[in-house]
Amino acid sequence: MRLTALLLSSALASPALAADPAAVLDTYADIAEAAYGDSLTTAQALQAAVAALVAAPSDATLQAARAAWVAARVPYQQTEVFRFGNPIVDDWEGRVNAWPLDEGLIDYVAAGTATNEENPQAGLNVIAHPTFTLSGRQIDATVLTPALIAKTLHEADGIEANVASGYHAIEFLLWGQDLNGTGPGAGARPHTDFLQGADCTGGSCDRRATYLVAATDLLVADLDYMAGQWAEGGAARAAVAADPEAGLMAILTGMGSLSYGEQAGERMKLGLMLNDPEEEHDCFSDNTHMSHFYDGLGIRNVYLGAYNRVDGSVVAGPSLSNLVAASDAGVDAQLRTELDASVGALQAIVTAAEGGMAYDQMLAPGNATGEALILAAVDALVTQTRSIERAVTALGLSKLKFEGSDSLDNPNAVFQ
Amino acid sequence: MPRPPVLLALMAALALAAPARADYPEAIRDVILPGYAAFAEAAAALDTAAQASCEAQALEPAFHTAFDAWMAVAPLRIGPAEEDGRALAILFWPDPKGLGAKAQAALLAGEPAALTPEGLAQASVAARGLLGLERLLWPAEPLPADPCPLVRATAADLARMAADLRDGWQGDTGFAQAMLSAGTEGNAEFLSGPEVRQAIFTLIHAGLEQIADQQLGRPLGSFDKPRPELAQARASGRSLSNVVLELQGLRALTESLTPDAPLTLAAFDHALGLAEALADPVFAGVATPGGRLKVEILQQAVRALRDTAAVELARELDVDLGFNAADGD
Repeated sequence: MRLTALLLSSALASPALAADPAAVLDTYADIAEAAYGDSLTTAQALQAAVAALVAAPSDATLQAARAAWVAARVPYQQTEVFRFGNPIVDDWEGRVNAWPLDEGLIDYVAAGTATNEENPQAGLNVIAHPTFTLSGRQIDATVLTPALIAKTLHEADGIEANVASGYHAIEFLLWGQDLNGTGPGAGARPHTDFLQGADCTGGSCDRRATYLVAATDLLVADLDYMAGQWAEGGAARAAVAADPEAGLMAILTGMGSLSYGEQAGERMKLGLMLNDPEEEHDCFSDNTHMSHFYDGLGIRNVYLGAYNRVDGSVVAGPSLSNLVAASDAGVDAQLRTELDASVGALQAIVTAAEGGMAYDQMLAPGNATGEALILAAVDALVTQTRSIERAVTALGLSKLKFEGSDSLDNPNAVFQ
Repeated sequence: MPRPPVLLALMAALALAAPARADYPEAIRDVILPGYAAFAEAAAALDTAAQASCEAQALEPAFHTAFDAWMAVAPLRIGPAEEDGRALAILFWPDPKGLGAKAQAALLAGEPAALTPEGLAQASVAARGLLGLERLLWPAEPLPADPCPLVRATAADLARMAADLRDGWQGDTGFAQAMLSAGTEGNAEFLSGPEVRQAIFTLIHAGLEQIADQQLGRPLGSFDKPRPELAQARASGRSLSNVVLELQGLRALTESLTPDAPLTLAAFDHALGLAEALADPVFAGVATPGGRLKVEILQQAVRALRDTAAVELARELDVDLGFNAADGD
């Protein structure tokens, strides 16, 4: 029997961690506070742009609202690395960034597209139906409020594809369905979908405008809550500071889970293997390349302990990289190289998209260039995950212990 | 200096007295490689049967044999299974957006001549594989076109992937060799033997989690809203037997990896006993309070098994849990 002290490890006694985990965790929380804070201010700018669109629908106000949405994604995607390791974030995230969605729940869609054998509400169209039945219950949705969206519509019937709130619901209302398949072009909702009176297109323009405003208000409120959790005295900041070993593991768990299972797997490889243009993260706006890039950047941010704020200032401090280097310089050097490589591979996708090959076009069957670009990023993300595991080992930490379970809280119980 | 004969004899005696060796080379040799070979053979037989006849009745036995063989290796989401989307294409599940049915309908509506194995290899993973075949052999509604060309192309595509998988593990550049040569110069995949143990341990843990959360969890749904229609491979009546086969495969893998995990093996046997005693092949019982309880008890047993394995195997193998493909949301 190979005996080990794994579960009983006291990592904090090792010289590597003498480099002060508390300071590293301060940097981590500072980056979270800044990135969620930036997400909040850019969402407030979106809120203002939506108000202007609704007040005076025109192509110009619609474009301005879309630009505000795109800008709001830059800081938000860099916060995704705080998922998976922090329960406060995980319990909340589905409200703001759930994806993929059966958008026919919210508004009109092209004929034949609102079908999902697993979701009876895939074609509900709340905007066109002030009242409807849900799980046998009569729902009064005559007044579209943030509360109705959050409590009744979102994940209606317990079905995850019923996404009624967050960035992607707003994205759908600003862009509409992208009906170009894997060909060029994004969603093309006309501004007239928000015109009140006889010029309204798409029907129920008043309810569409109300829904958009309510969903944006809800996003702002949700981001405000999360920024507060990471501020001085906030619960998320306190949680990572409370147990430095668990806090460091939260950083690494977020990095590894986002790199591998979520980003490389669920979001990139799966979409490629499905050849499905709907399987891109920002499928209405064709902004997927940017979302993926900033996700990758966020992973590197928390390792290097530095974040560039939207106002150009930098939040930086003692980093996890410093800690790993003190324990195993080789692992640190390799992981830094690999993080640079994944950011580079994601940048190559951005460059190609800005050069005219949108992410959904990369997913087209037979597009060897697109496939190679996506697979290169997938490979880079998978590769860095192995080094993240090595960093866990180098610091004497335990993912198993961090994930916890009843038996792990009392390992001896299992051996009695 | 040559070793004295006495010492050699002593070493030989010690070797004989020691318990059967078990570690990752044994897991690869005794479980993983034979598992993939069996799946390749079964998929080839299914292909042969489909080329002879595409009647559901004629294909049923070969379909089940191939599906059985896949479940034994399904949790091995590593190496060749992760390349070219093979694991995704062989068993695309769950499918919460119903993409498989949509993509397959498009293929059925298209030119039959386009339904070559080569063409299908380029198609969406959701339309292919075992559940693609299941939809054609046990259609929920009458099919809009003669399914025969698509049945044949799907079976051929499956056989090709199964052969590629088997081959991808074998030979000097195969994945087995990458594991066996862990820690040697030039092996960037596995820097040490413990990394291989960690990788296999992580697969066992993730496999158990997926059984509890997905294969049992999806049909269980919530107490107010059970979802029996979401059970895996419901149309072919395999939901429960898939769980049994996967547990058996994971048990064999565990046993080959270490002989010294009595609590984990006992927990496997407990969960397998419950599963085998459950007379509910597609978990239809989740819709009734009594039937639901039985599936929940099985789910709890699999979770307890996962936790036992987590503690005992981590200690025994001296590794931590790694990241797995299902870590996302």
